[in-house]
Amino acid sequence: MLYAFVLIVMQTVVLLAVAPLIVGLIRKVKARLQCRRGAAVFQPYADLIKLFRKQPVVSSTTSWIFTATPYILFASTLAAGLLVPVFMSTTPLNFAGNIIALVYLLALGTFFLMLAGLDAGSAFGGMGSSREAIVASLTEPAMMLSIFAIALTAGSTNLSTIVHKTALLEGIVTDPSPHLMAFAALVIVAIAETGRVPVDNPATHLELTMIHEAMILEYSGRYLALVEWAAGLKLLVFLTLIANVSAPWGIATSMEPAALGIGLATYLVKVSGLAVLIGFLESMFAKLRLFRVTDLLGTAFVLALLGLVFFYVLRG
Amino acid sequence: MTDSPSPERSIEQQIQTAFPGVIPDYPSGTALVQYRTDKLQLPELVRFLHEKMQGRLALLFAVDCRPLEKKYELQYLFAFKSRQPFVLVTTELIGDDRLFTSITPSVHAAQWYEREIRDLFGLIPQGHPDLRRLVRHEHWPKGTHPLQKDVSWNNVLGRQQGEYRFHHIEGEGVFEVPVGPIHAGIIEPGHFRFSVAGEPIMQLELRHFWKHRGVEKLFEQLTLIDAVLLAERVSGDTTVGHSLTYCQAVETLLDLQVPRRANYLRSLFLELERLYNHFGDIGAMCNDTAYALAHAHCGRIKERIMQLNDRLVGSRFLRGVMRVGGVSWDVDRSQLGTLVDELNGIQKDFSEVGAIIFANASLTDRLETTGVLTERIAWDHAVTGVVGRASGMDQDVRRDRPFAAYDELPVNVALYRYGDARARLRVRGDEIHESIRLIREIHARIPDGPIAAEPDRSAPPGAWAVAAVEGWRGEILYFVSAGDDGMIHRCKVRDPSFVNWPAIQWAVLGNIIPDFPLINKSFNLSYAGNDL
Repeated sequence: MLYAFVLIVMQTVVLLAVAPLIVGLIRKVKARLQCRRGAAVFQPYADLIKLFRKQPVVSSTTSWIFTATPYILFASTLAAGLLVPVFMSTTPLNFAGNIIALVYLLALGTFFLMLAGLDAGSAFGGMGSSREAIVASLTEPAMMLSIFAIALTAGSTNLSTIVHKTALLEGIVTDPSPHLMAFAALVIVAIAETGRVPVDNPATHLELTMIHEAMILEYSGRYLALVEWAAGLKLLVFLTLIANVSAPWGIATSMEPAALGIGLATYLVKVSGLAVLIGFLESMFAKLRLFRVTDLLGTAFVLALLGLVFFYVLRG
Repeated sequence: MTDSPSPERSIEQQIQTAFPGVIPDYPSGTALVQYRTDKLQLPELVRFLHEKMQGRLALLFAVDCRPLEKKYELQYLFAFKSRQPFVLVTTELIGDDRLFTSITPSVHAAQWYEREIRDLFGLIPQGHPDLRRLVRHEHWPKGTHPLQKDVSWNNVLGRQQGEYRFHHIEGEGVFEVPVGPIHAGIIEPGHFRFSVAGEPIMQLELRHFWKHRGVEKLFEQLTLIDAVLLAERVSGDTTVGHSLTYCQAVETLLDLQVPRRANYLRSLFLELERLYNHFGDIGAMCNDTAYALAHAHCGRIKERIMQLNDRLVGSRFLRGVMRVGGVSWDVDRSQLGTLVDELNGIQKDFSEVGAIIFANASLTDRLETTGVLTERIAWDHAVTGVVGRASGMDQDVRRDRPFAAYDELPVNVALYRYGDARARLRVRGDEIHESIRLIREIHARIPDGPIAAEPDRSAPPGAWAVAAVEGWRGEILYFVSAGDDGMIHRCKVRDPSFVNWPAIQWAVLGNIIPDFPLINKSFNLSYAGNDL
């Protein structure tokens, strides 16, 4: 009992602490690629502290959904994070759900965010919500399929089991192509779900082009802080998922302190590496035309599907 | 564009044949033919010039001729193919006559001009299809027409209630999206009203003119010599373009010969202004597609040019370099040499950035077929400058009516026909290389001598002149007429933005809303220069 409790606390602390760092790291990489010095990687922490101290302004036309959404979003994203193995293969909420629960916990947050975008009644919020609905409905199947492709090799939809088995190289087929395809699909899904270039531009001030930013335009103060933190958390959850499902090696498979230390260190290296990768990808591409986003997500779906097919074909 | 006139007959001859009663007049100093006509014959003559002679309506404005005479003059300025003189058609409304016949039904480009005249002078264009207020926002009290001579310049207006009527599209799933006038970025104020069905734009209506400063009225409080400073500030990013055009008009009035060295320096400053703005625009277009890498590099190069400006003349925006009769800053040979060396480096730098920009498939995909302005619509709106040249309108004042040193510096005009955002980007890219080449030429050819001539006479009241300059956005036009004691009687300013803004309403049709910022940036028009 105590053991489970300690695990929950540890994983929560790591997720909450690392999320702003990842956001800062991506910004830093992009700045360096643009020959700029850029803000310190710890800037997002300062931003969060500043926002928490500020008084929020709430439009008088909004309903309870607007003020409840930041909490729902934050809580659901954190709960999703506790379903993913972070630095050790056992997850704190192992008993509570599997990969499907993870997908729908994230979808719950997105759903409320879309409602909140509509709630204030501004033209931009509505546009953001309608665009988010397109993106979310297309990422969902691609994400499910890609994780299923990996689940098949491990014989379980429980993330903890998948990671544990993969880390110990149990039940792995000799050909890694299902894994690779699922990995590519997951990267695309992660970019779309977390509103990065080329799907969305987190750095723009142009309301007409926004997706995620348009939905949260009306937020300020601690509400905005929660939404921003949740966005960072969601990004981190995806990077963790990609890192640990595709390459879990190094993760702690027992509770020994040495194993935990190694697990934490390799975890930080892995997510930082992925953050740098995202920084590079964002610098290489212009944003897609809105209606081309569906093509990209279609590609992700097909890749994931191919991963599934390959699994059966290779097994003979 | 059929029925093109036979080349051996000049425009004057053809007008003479079609309208035997109209007598041409040749005002001294300006390459311009003036025709005076009564207001009944005017629509016919204007239609002939536009439809048969392929004349482009370059400018349409009114003059309140008081105190000399109690009448209003309406002036219609037409431009023709390369190196032909302007044709200015003048008609007058005598005494208390406030009505004139709108030419908008046959010359679409007159649309905003006539609304502007109605707002600022209270003259009514009969038969105009759209008589809503343009410049005069609804909170201006009824009957306020600031450019009438009996309205004082420091008159404080009251406020009244009123609402602008937008055109509505109705139907299932059609929404209106209001954007502005306050925006999130560092952008001037302007209101855009979209009617959309989902993402595709069915209609865009502009509601601009939030920056009315009374510039044309302020000109009338200044002397011909002093007003250069005001001209510099019409549109902050076009300091040299506006002040140069103004100076040229005044020099024609004062019959002042600008020294050759000053002309070369004027061309130099104009090209420097073009360079820093074009670099900024290319970067900003890339930024609007979230391609921040190119934005950063273009921003870096733009900053280098602005620092060069600062080192040359002590102003990043080239303020205070132009004066009536010449320029007020000399640039010596060694400075010019350093400038050319720096620009050679910048050109090499930009060639690399340009190669990255034009080779990037994701960027090209965003720019191609986005915001297409067809040649036909461009012609109907008499669009000028970068936007026009990207839509196949082969015009550049530097080549067509050489001013400053351009009669000795032939300009290669960048011309594209697709009319999309990419074409507008390419025109800018080509013009950057051309400007740097021109500055090298200036360095090689600039003669020694004085940099300014002193005016030795004053202009007689009622004398007037027109001047045109190819600023970085496009053709800038000034009409200046002299009043008593060296004062300005009337100064009409036409920034290219004023003619290009309405065209954007057509370029966006069928595009999706998230592409609008990119289309807008590819036009990059001035809100302040549009609204005087």
